[in-house]
Amino acid sequence: MAHLTVAVSEGTFQKSVDALVRNLSFEKADQTSFGAFTAGYDVKAHLEGGTVDLRADNTIQLKELDLRWDRLKFILGIDIPEICVGGGCIDLPWPLPDLCLPRVCIFSDDPDISIEPDLAAFVAQEVSFTGSLLAQYHVSTTPGESNKWQIFIDPQTIDVDLFDFPDIVGNLIEDALTDLITALIPGGPVRDLIIAIIGGVSDLIRDILDIPDDIQEWLSDLFNVSFGLLDFIGTLILDYFASENPIYEFDDPFQIMEASNGLIPVRIPIRNLDVHVTDVEMVVQADVGA
Amino acid sequence: MAFTDHSDIYGAVHEDGINRVVRHIMRQRPSLFNYATQIFAQRPDLFCEKIDVAAEVIQAQNPIFTVEKPLPVLGTPTPVGLNFCVQLTDFQIDFHPANTIQLPPELSPLAQQRLALRIRACVGMDCPSDSVIADILPRMEVLATAEDKPLFGTNMLATGGLVATRALAASDVRASRGLVRGDIFLPPTGGVLDPGRGTDDGIIVLPTRQINCFCLELFAVAHFEWGTIGSSPQQWLKTRLDGIEIVDLQPTPMEDMIECYLKLVLRLGVLPRLSIKLEKMVLDITKIIRDQGIAFGDEVTIEPAPVPAGVPHNPAIENDLVKVFANLIVRSA
Repeated sequence: MAHLTVAVSEGTFQKSVDALVRNLSFEKADQTSFGAFTAGYDVKAHLEGGTVDLRADNTIQLKELDLRWDRLKFILGIDIPEICVGGGCIDLPWPLPDLCLPRVCIFSDDPDISIEPDLAAFVAQEVSFTGSLLAQYHVSTTPGESNKWQIFIDPQTIDVDLFDFPDIVGNLIEDALTDLITALIPGGPVRDLIIAIIGGVSDLIRDILDIPDDIQEWLSDLFNVSFGLLDFIGTLILDYFASENPIYEFDDPFQIMEASNGLIPVRIPIRNLDVHVTDVEMVVQADVGA
Repeated sequence: MAFTDHSDIYGAVHEDGINRVVRHIMRQRPSLFNYATQIFAQRPDLFCEKIDVAAEVIQAQNPIFTVEKPLPVLGTPTPVGLNFCVQLTDFQIDFHPANTIQLPPELSPLAQQRLALRIRACVGMDCPSDSVIADILPRMEVLATAEDKPLFGTNMLATGGLVATRALAASDVRASRGLVRGDIFLPPTGGVLDPGRGTDDGIIVLPTRQINCFCLELFAVAHFEWGTIGSSPQQWLKTRLDGIEIVDLQPTPMEDMIECYLKLVLRLGVLPRLSIKLEKMVLDITKIIRDQGIAFGDEVTIEPAPVPAGVPHNPAIENDLVKVFANLIVRSA
């Protein structure tokens, strides 16, 4: 029989996850220049849901842990190349005065337009995870540093939803950009001239943003890849369970009495540490070495 | 049947594990278990039993015993002391059912939900030879019959004349023996007295050639219970003494008196120090959360599972184990 036994019920894990969900939130903001345009985000999120299932195959499953966005502000600024029309003069014979056209320039600012829609209502991420518990003995190679017993969660399956923006978000952004650009173009015959030059507002937006197909796919790619926000979520949630990061560790020998008044600390060797789960509880067992 | 059928968290320690832990403590903190006068530092061979210490203790030059004042010889005109030692040489615990400790009839059979303790103690005391006494006696007579000295020794009375007495004794003894400091620790051929090194507050320590020893076995029965300490609501696991018995000690009134004294020592001195905070015993939940860099608004505590609604006994002493049952309580901020 093991000298020491500690067991934690499945219900306790669920309570712990519930407490984590209630207490854990994060905020992050960043902005990147992509040449003709700048894009960024300002986000705040919290966790919801999440159920823990201890399984007879010695694994723990965390299911349907939702990442809800309190704020998912997408920041987009576009610098459109300046376009000038008019400004030339036609020399007419005396006594007629020269005929000079007025010079009109647009898109002179940098950026010319910017939008900051909050997309929180349109997106949600879900995380599911399965891993097994593992006890390992780490032999220190650093002089003066103790060996350690370490308990890891060895990930077996990890599933994190990608940012997937619906069509409505693409339309929303495209409409907002179109309205803003259209508002910059003066009316009258000049407008027709400029529209002719840029080939239509919609085409201008797609050219500048280098949108290959749907704008919502372009937006998803920005969040998933370019912003690295998915990596950030992964770092936040998944690396917690990664094999490099023990969820619990302690020195071997384990200190049970502190050093005092010049007396050495009292330490006991821990042997045969074992961690396993059944379908109802996690059990940690160990022996005290001789 | 799962460990956590009746609680969120279950913890158990087997008696073999505790006995090993005690053994490690005895080897790494021998000064908690061995008490003796200063001479034993130079003459460890005088101990009743050889002290087994861990190599780290030697390397760190930690003391292997706690230095005590010499045992006073009552009635002497100047303080005179005897070398002595007290050693706790063995400590064993046995959770119900009793299967490793044979309890004396006064304490057996071991009741359910109880634990048995066996402590072996050895006591050693110097018994100076007649020649040592003969050497010092003339001086004691001088001091005892001096007209300005009280009828009884100054170590028994008020300290009014103590300084003068000590000074007299010290100079007198040095002059008579012509010895220097340090001689007291050498195996004497006769009386060797020095109130300096080897003495405590001017006490003259009689020279020691050998120690007379005897060993006794102390048996005790105890149980655990939960409780608070002071005004904090924090739950602690406390050890409560039910009974004590010293084997083969006569006459009975003396045995009763010593047992009474030892009960006081255990109840008021030793056991309160062994109280264990509940979180420390299972897992330091707060520390684990903090180590993960998580700022928690909720209050997370561990509380004992209720008896008998949750479990029949908590803590439970059964099957050679002490078991604790606890629940994780999360209160929203």
